[in-house]
Amino acid sequence: MRLPARSSALATLLTFAWVLVAPADAQAPKRGGTLRVSYGNEIAHLDFHTAPGYEMMWVAMNIGCGLVNITPDGRFVGDAAESWQVAPDGLLYTFKLKKSVLFHDGTAVDAASVKFSIDRLMDPNTKSGMRSFYESIHSVEVLDPLTVQIRLKHPYAFMLHMLAAYRTGLVLYSPTATQKFSLEDRKQGKPGAVVGCGPFKLVEWVKGSHLVMDRFDKYFVAGQPYLDRVMIRVIKDPVAEMAAFKAGEIDFIASFSPEHVDNLKVQAPKAQIMTGKETTPMLAAMKVTVPADGKPMSKERKPHPIFGDLKVRKAVGCYGIDRKEIVKIAFKGQATPWVGMNPPGTLDTVDVNHLCPYDPAKAKAMLAEAGYGPSKPLTFDIIADNEKSVFNVIATVIKEQMARLGATANIRVVDKVSWMNTTLQDGPWDMYVEDLLSLITLDSNGYLSNSSSTWSHPRHNDKRTDELYARYARELDPAKRKAIAKEIQEFFVENMYWNNISGSPFYMVAQPWMKGYTYNAEFEVHYHTVWLDK
Amino acid sequence: MRVYLLRRLLHIVPTVLMITLVVFVMMRSVPGDPVVALLGDAYTEEDAVKVREVYGLDKPVLVQYVIWLGKLVRGDWGASILSGRPVLQDVLVRLPVTLELILLSMAIALAIAIPAALIGALRQNTWADYTATSVAMIGVSIPEFFIGVLLLLVFSFGLNGFLPSSGWVYLPGTCPMMVCGVSLWGNVQHVLMPAIALGVGRAAILTRLLRSSMLEVIRSEYVTTARAKGLSERPVVLKHALKNALIPTVTVMGLQVGFLIGGAIVVETLFAMPGLGTFGIDAIIARDYQQVQGFALITAFAFVVINLLVDLTYTFLDPRIRYA
Repeated sequence: MRLPARSSALATLLTFAWVLVAPADAQAPKRGGTLRVSYGNEIAHLDFHTAPGYEMMWVAMNIGCGLVNITPDGRFVGDAAESWQVAPDGLLYTFKLKKSVLFHDGTAVDAASVKFSIDRLMDPNTKSGMRSFYESIHSVEVLDPLTVQIRLKHPYAFMLHMLAAYRTGLVLYSPTATQKFSLEDRKQGKPGAVVGCGPFKLVEWVKGSHLVMDRFDKYFVAGQPYLDRVMIRVIKDPVAEMAAFKAGEIDFIASFSPEHVDNLKVQAPKAQIMTGKETTPMLAAMKVTVPADGKPMSKERKPHPIFGDLKVRKAVGCYGIDRKEIVKIAFKGQATPWVGMNPPGTLDTVDVNHLCPYDPAKAKAMLAEAGYGPSKPLTFDIIADNEKSVFNVIATVIKEQMARLGATANIRVVDKVSWMNTTLQDGPWDMYVEDLLSLITLDSNGYLSNSSSTWSHPRHNDKRTDELYARYARELDPAKRKAIAKEIQEFFVENMYWNNISGSPFYMVAQPWMKGYTYNAEFEVHYHTVWLDK
Repeated sequence: MRVYLLRRLLHIVPTVLMITLVVFVMMRSVPGDPVVALLGDAYTEEDAVKVREVYGLDKPVLVQYVIWLGKLVRGDWGASILSGRPVLQDVLVRLPVTLELILLSMAIALAIAIPAALIGALRQNTWADYTATSVAMIGVSIPEFFIGVLLLLVFSFGLNGFLPSSGWVYLPGTCPMMVCGVSLWGNVQHVLMPAIALGVGRAAILTRLLRSSMLEVIRSEYVTTARAKGLSERPVVLKHALKNALIPTVTVMGLQVGFLIGGAIVVETLFAMPGLGTFGIDAIIARDYQQVQGFALITAFAFVVINLLVDLTYTFLDPRIRYA
């Protein structure tokens, strides 16, 4: 049957319109549903300013809100802040807050609450791991209920990065709720004690079982979040996690074990596997100094009997380790061999691999210069903690590579707490294999590698590192900053204060029906834009 | 009997105290303390010293134990050093999960062991006997986690999620939290694989034990007498022989509870179950001393009480046994 010309034109128009509209409709977020999330580790506790661990941070980012967030391409977007201005000298940050942002207890997010939260983080009694990053802040002033000003002692180029994504970023606390409930109440997640201004409010946390967050209906972004509920469970065994995912029991794995990714692709071919350039360094740290008086953490230091000698550090760490082989075996090729301390996905990273080409002959010669050889073989211990199996694999490959140099590396596998105790408390160790922290900037690695931090395990006492970090953080010109970053990375390789092996890959896995999630590595894990296309 | 029961109940107190003391001292002898994990990124030696003072960890071990005991007498099991959550509350939330797992795995073990042992004993040196003993030997040899992974591969991976691979659904009326999955069928689905994984090894041990007991009993004079009196084989085996043969098996069952608790740690971790096993292992790994003490207390108590019940069962199985 032939349609009249007008009808035919109308039909064509309607078809065209449907083609245009239908896909848009299919992508329109649907409201409701429960997002079932799996974490591989337990949440430590719920005082967001002090609790350690990524699992806590990923909860904090959804229950709490801050001033700004950062996008995957490095742009800053307002969270509770409507806008902000930075003085030309970099010493004054003025934040204008959005109106009608509320905490879950109904109180307003205002300039006073911002001041309260930052002051709390800076208070030594709070014992926040963030405190060192707030060192540059002189004071926080309330200009009016919606305007807050942060005055710095000296310029800090990474102020916004820090507020957005160093650990949890700044998480605003309700002064009312914080004063009403005790720290213990908040840590336990007692009803009413954990109050944020984020898209989800805490319903219940039962350690070892689940954490439940429900939509906060008065969230300041209209219409969001789309989900009714987020239910987080802890599944520590990756095989069980994969089985639960394949069976559709969970929608999202927040951190998936890299060694099982290939298997998952086969088991669940429709799964969305999200990853990006590595931001976490995998290192084989070498201890540089030990206490001269035998007292752990003593300021009186002497060189470590083996790795206190730069020649040995360079022979072992620089020329004696074949990073490509390690990546091939330990990561099945899915990581980047990387000598620099700043992984490939981190701001201002520089490829300095050429400084440490694998050269066993040179390594052997350097060891001989340092006095090691057949008559005095080099022997040292490697600690690998059992949190991730890859640490042990890397240690085993290093052991094999050391044997090629005529050196003996003895592997000691310990649990995470023992490793932390040994390394943090200046205990006896020679080398350890670990990935410590995901880095959004090189600056955020300062407290793991400067000369004074407790977390700088090798305990080198080279003040030049502090000077370089300070210069880098205070430089406001991005081009000059990049040059300093290169200097830092080369300096650490030349002195082998940081013996990097590679990047440590990070994977998130989602069911095909989970939509709207923006991958931003470990730095920003937000569920308010997520919806379920079921 | 009453005197015996009272005496045994009184014995529980020093036994449990001794176990908790040993665990207390051992945990503090293991390298590492919870303060490091508690402070995390904020760790400094100065803060660590202060925190140790706050939690009394700077005091001598025995003083710490006496303080813990004093609180326990007042019903205070302490609070987790890391999360601040009351230990008793967490133990009570997790206990039903492990209890159900252990009871069901023991039931599965018996359901396999009794028929297999009877076949083995009554048809000694036949293919049926060889099969039963071989299967038992295999069952003893395979660890729980391996059986668990096999079950996961078959029933969760292979059969498209026929049985859930992880988590827990509570029996109606038993949810101890605000948010729970509650359903009878859901509970059965969730407990089945872990209970089989845990029960198979126990079934194998019990099969071998019960078979040898049965072989001994069916050759005894009173069984021959029963047969000579014209009793049919069924009551001879089930009423006269099995009941007596069960005595050593019941003893071993009581002792197996300890192994079941150990196995529950592995199985609960594999199936991500919110039970006492995962609670215990997490506490040990984190050096959360208060939680470890709570775990040791509840498991020691369960172990001695179950073994008391086992002893009392003897009187039912063999009326000649009397306690005075």
